[in-house]
Amino acid sequence: MMSIAARRSAIGTCLQFTKPTVNASVFSRLVKDFVPAASANGKVPHLISRVNHIIRPVRDPLLSSQFYFRSEFTGATGIRLAHTDIKVPDFSDYRRPEVQDPNKSSQDSSEARKVFSYLVTGATTVVTVYAAKTVVSQFVSSMSASADVLALSKIEVKLADIPEGRNMTFKWRGKPLFVRHRTEKEIATEEGVNLGELRDPQHDKDRVQNPKWVIVLGVCTHLGCVPIANAGDYGGYYCPCHGSHYDASGRIRKGPAPLNLEVPFYEFVDEDTVVVG
Amino acid sequence: MALAKTVYSLLFRRTSTFAVTIIVGAVFFERIFDQGGDAVFEQLNRGKLWDHIKHKYEVKEE
Repeated sequence: MMSIAARRSAIGTCLQFTKPTVNASVFSRLVKDFVPAASANGKVPHLISRVNHIIRPVRDPLLSSQFYFRSEFTGATGIRLAHTDIKVPDFSDYRRPEVQDPNKSSQDSSEARKVFSYLVTGATTVVTVYAAKTVVSQFVSSMSASADVLALSKIEVKLADIPEGRNMTFKWRGKPLFVRHRTEKEIATEEGVNLGELRDPQHDKDRVQNPKWVIVLGVCTHLGCVPIANAGDYGGYYCPCHGSHYDASGRIRKGPAPLNLEVPFYEFVDEDTVVVG
Repeated sequence: MALAKTVYSLLFRRTSTFAVTIIVGAVFFERIFDQGGDAVFEQLNRGKLWDHIKHKYEVKEE
């Protein structure tokens, strides 16, 4: 495309043509006046003179009072050069051997090529899934407690050392742990308690695995003091700080504490040993 | 070739079966890879691991 821009005063003679298409003679005058090189020999090049062109006013945004005229003509103004010297790239290095021959149908080998493609994709994905699973599980297991920490978090209590009717205190995870060997009388009393009169209703059999042994954390549920065993109105535990009374099952019966003494996880390894934690 | 065709049409053609194939394949691959790796490690360290020398230190019960 070639365009000529001119000021109105300079091409005043052309203004009478308002039709978008101007004939070749007018255009040749224009070209002679404004494109000296194109008409150096006094003739407008044949190619240009035959092209239809458009004269239309262009409003200049800076000089709004002035009109500019632009003549554009589109069409084959260039010369198409031969490009037979450009080599077509050879992609045969990147193509499957089955489709190298252009005279052979690729349909016959399509199944085998698809199987190969999907096999490679599938195998890669399998390895990726395995790697991702390993990374995630290693990361997650690194967050859990290690074996030595877990070993410290458990204590083993020899039950034979605790006589009947006595309570013994152990240290477990930095907290006092009460292990109480109950008498038959205490067991019968705690099992017979009416749940309706409890603040935190819980039956005795829900708090013990073996009714002879009560294992609770020795932390008052009120403000965290350590209760005194075999004291208080109910013969269980009594917290001296604010006067909470617990019964022989560790349940709150009287005083400000809102909840029963906490029962940790424990299991009886054999008749004589219990592992807490 | 017939096997490959069957595998393709049964397992790879649908995305759903392809995904199932990958997951099942990953389970088996994990087993084989882990056990193979352990076997290679034990082969390279034969005679140095506790399992290999344990019998020397175990007290025999008479």
